[in-house]
Amino acid sequence: MTSNGQTHTIENGFCKKVVVELKILLQIGIVFGLYWVSQCIEAVLPFSFPASVISLLLLLALLVLKAVKVDHIREKADFLLGNLSFFFVPVSVSIVNYIDVIRDNAAPFLVICVVSTVLTFAAAAWAVRLTCRLLEKRKGAAE
Amino acid sequence: MSELASSPFFGITLTIVAYWVGVRAQKKTGLVVCNSMLITVALIIAVLTVFHIPYEDYYQGGSLINLFLGPATACMAVTVYAKMDLLKKYWLPVLAGCLAGTVTSIGSILVLSRLFGLDKDMTASLLPKSVTTPIATAVSEGHGGIVPITVAAVIVTGILGNLAAPFLVKLFRVKDPVAAGLGIGTCSHALGTAKALEMGETEGAMSGLAVGICGIFTALLALGFDLIL
Repeated sequence: MTSNGQTHTIENGFCKKVVVELKILLQIGIVFGLYWVSQCIEAVLPFSFPASVISLLLLLALLVLKAVKVDHIREKADFLLGNLSFFFVPVSVSIVNYIDVIRDNAAPFLVICVVSTVLTFAAAAWAVRLTCRLLEKRKGAAE
Repeated sequence: MSELASSPFFGITLTIVAYWVGVRAQKKTGLVVCNSMLITVALIIAVLTVFHIPYEDYYQGGSLINLFLGPATACMAVTVYAKMDLLKKYWLPVLAGCLAGTVTSIGSILVLSRLFGLDKDMTASLLPKSVTTPIATAVSEGHGGIVPITVAAVIVTGILGNLAAPFLVKLFRVKDPVAAGLGIGTCSHALGTAKALEMGETEGAMSGLAVGICGIFTALLALGFDLIL
């Protein structure tokens, strides 16, 4: 009896481990499959729209419609998002191949980066502030 | 050496070790200048230069890491979804801020590129530079841009935003954490969001939300790039 019970728990523990490992594999499958479907959509679209954005919108729609739960992809998403800058490294290193182009355009490149970053921050922050104020005013007027 | 370096395992190992050093160095020093991305990239370039390893060899492993960029973008949907409550509460300011920021970014880059007399390829490479790398590179590539130039501009912008975020918030006297976070995410994507997260929970959440929404807006606005380029 006891030995039978013991094998049972061991088998249960083993099954649990297999299930956890399968779960992560399945999550990779969901995310990669979704991206592949997005690549198919990108290929069909008559205009240039990136697959990465299609997959973002697709996943967001599936989450909102509750067809996919965050729990279905949590570990995989945490892994990808938690190491996001790591995945940028190889493309960033490719800059060594374009040192000449950057050097020739160094001044415009830097000026454009600095100026547009400051302007973009200001525009976004001000637009939020303006909208918030307008909403408050309307709320105040309504009351 | 060259046969050994062209194994994908070389590139992957080098990237992981360099990234680990970069992240550790940033944590240890706590200096904004010691940006982990800068250290990681500089370290890898140094190793490749010292040992005369061509970039193509490194990229055998690098391309495998690259493969994850697209699916990682898809997972940004989880970030946006997790902030659905915030988005529902502030949907109008968030959408207004992201739209104003995206239009300003593209508009200012276009005007400056014309002023500097940059060619079409260079302009197309810079136009999407304020959004996250996978979206920026895809937009750039779709409109005849040079992808590595886009990556460089995205990274420079991100580091700039990361370094300048606290200063920009003071300069423009942005007291509202919603406006501050949204501004940071709009102008400097994930690298700025890392700084926004350090500044506060609301700032980080809004910045992360802005990265996703601005990426979508930029991809949509880019449909008109062929008309202006």
